[in-house]
Amino acid sequence: MGAQDLLEGLKQAVVEGDEDAAASFAEQAIGAELAPLEIIKGAINPAMDDVGQAFEDGEAFLPELILAGDAARAALDYIIPSISADDLEGSVQGTVVIGTIFGDAHDIGKNIVSAILAAHGIKIVDLGINVPPKAYIEAALKEEADIIAISSLITTSLPYHREVINTLRDRGEREKFFVIVGGGPVTPEWTAEIGADGYGRDARDAAVVCQQLLAGRAEGKTAPLPEPVTVGALEHG
Amino acid sequence: MHGKPDILEVLSRTQTGEYCTQKEWDTKRIPLTIRSILKEHDLQKTCDIDNPVNTDLELADKFFAAGYQAALELGYLCTDTERIVSVSQEELDNALKFAPSEITVGEGKDATVIKARTPSDPYPMKAATSLGITISEEVYPTIAYLIASEPEVDILEAGSLTTIRGHEVLSGTPIETLMGYEHGIMHREARRKAGREGMGAIGCISAVTEFGQFGAYGTPGAFRPSDLALILFPSEMKIDYRTLHKVVHTLNMGGIMKCDSPGMIGGMPGPAEGAAVSSIACALLSYAILQNHVGGGEIYDVRYLSNVNREGLWALSVVFQALSRNTHTLCHGIANQVSGPGTENLLREIAAGVSVLAASGSSLTTGPRSAGGKLTDFVTPLECRFVAEVSHAASAMELEAVNDVVKALLPKYEDSIKEPDLGVPFQKAYNLDTLEPTPEWEGAYRSVKQECIDLGIPLSAY
Repeated sequence: MGAQDLLEGLKQAVVEGDEDAAASFAEQAIGAELAPLEIIKGAINPAMDDVGQAFEDGEAFLPELILAGDAARAALDYIIPSISADDLEGSVQGTVVIGTIFGDAHDIGKNIVSAILAAHGIKIVDLGINVPPKAYIEAALKEEADIIAISSLITTSLPYHREVINTLRDRGEREKFFVIVGGGPVTPEWTAEIGADGYGRDARDAAVVCQQLLAGRAEGKTAPLPEPVTVGALEHG
Repeated sequence: MHGKPDILEVLSRTQTGEYCTQKEWDTKRIPLTIRSILKEHDLQKTCDIDNPVNTDLELADKFFAAGYQAALELGYLCTDTERIVSVSQEELDNALKFAPSEITVGEGKDATVIKARTPSDPYPMKAATSLGITISEEVYPTIAYLIASEPEVDILEAGSLTTIRGHEVLSGTPIETLMGYEHGIMHREARRKAGREGMGAIGCISAVTEFGQFGAYGTPGAFRPSDLALILFPSEMKIDYRTLHKVVHTLNMGGIMKCDSPGMIGGMPGPAEGAAVSSIACALLSYAILQNHVGGGEIYDVRYLSNVNREGLWALSVVFQALSRNTHTLCHGIANQVSGPGTENLLREIAAGVSVLAASGSSLTTGPRSAGGKLTDFVTPLECRFVAEVSHAASAMELEAVNDVVKALLPKYEDSIKEPDLGVPFQKAYNLDTLEPTPEWEGAYRSVKQECIDLGIPLSAY
């Protein structure tokens, strides 16, 4: 199979959310000595762009987005080990521990963020819903994460955002992780008030925030940031 | 009892039902089942965004058949045990047969009777206001009192609290239990102060977990068993022990409940047609599994965080026509607005969404969700009044007429749904000395109300 066929096959497998096929095409592409970053740029990124656009247009839905993210991740598991140290340094990589905070069982926004980030080669550790503050920290330490991402749709769960940050601070581990927050009742003002590092108005914005923070980390920035990274403003009087 | 599973049997099924991971449920069971049923019933691509209110009642009946089938094929997933709680056809039929068709919420002369309706039914859809928008402690008593004082508002829900006496409420802790109780006390006081002590209520919106509900519902001085216990559960067609704790507590109190969960357009069931099928299935199962009294039929579009867009309104119309024509249940609908207080578009979004619900046969609505429910204190009694007015006035309208109204209103607000004007908080929309709307906000209300009258909603002239 030629290089173009492999890239087309991989792209199609990701679009269709076929993990096994995506992994197989990725393995074949690496075996055929295609440049790893070219595989990502030529197949995985355009596949996720297509799925993301179809989601925006109402032609694809959350299951497709999640399954495409899973398939992209399965392919990247083969591709990333083959990226040279120099190339790896120039690309945005990292680990995000994500979950819906304690007291809250909503998971759709979190799932969209996870799918988009996974498709961009970022390792996602999804803790699910109703996650106690300490569980974020333990998971972030265990996974040597770069970002803790907290999702909420319930207002009375918001104070737990602060508890994550305060506990990190009190344990002397605040500088280890960027903390971002998002979801229905979360605002840029709340993000700044609790000393979080990032806010995205919707799931796609949150994914952009994560990518910006990871890029900042690669440049040597550490948490906490003096001002949070905010994508997507809210206009009100 | 009545050939449907009692609550003990339901709890047993959360331990013994078929095992299914949440991932399997979300990414395979729900989408594949719904997709297959849509195809089997020839319902794909039936959403007509040029006519956002369905007027083909045979189509609504086909959606009911599809939703009924989905209810039997899917059941609910209990996320705590990852077991499917399913029911037999006989159990589902009996649950629907014995579901209440009329219920009294509240007590005495202030009580409200909610009845099963059909599309364009002259018996009005009742209005509970507002949704659970966060309100700061300082203004909560004032806002709740002013909403309860609006004569057209039938049932008081009012907003949610996040502090008590200055202390942040952490959900799932004893402070939430305490908050539930104090919220209930403040809520009762608002109704008493408004001279409507027996007015029905929905509570407790601040109770994120079961603990808040334990403190609020059935506790002396707080929410009464004649009020509706609010029990929300996760999409898509998922329950958990938090939900079931609230159900058991309501039954223990001898109370009545309103249980619902939306079908998500763009989510696991796919397009508007899939969300409609899922929403109908979810509503039907609530009577068999959760022992529900009122509820079901919610729709939400995950792309817009709303349902007053074309697909959302269409799905709402189909779901409530389906449920109201084919059952005698007391279905409940929400129109999720995104614009905020002080803006004309909030009122247009209310007019569109609430008139669709009312004319399509919903028995009860709760609203508004001013500013998408995102910001503290961004709700005022004036838009609550408008929800109730439209709810009552639009109930008997013909579906074709509502379709014309919605087609005229949508072009004025739909381009801003993704980035709405969130308006101003209560403190800026009302004169805090006179407790009246500011002239600007009242002017916007008069203007949009007249616009709606001119379009054909039979509201009383200002």
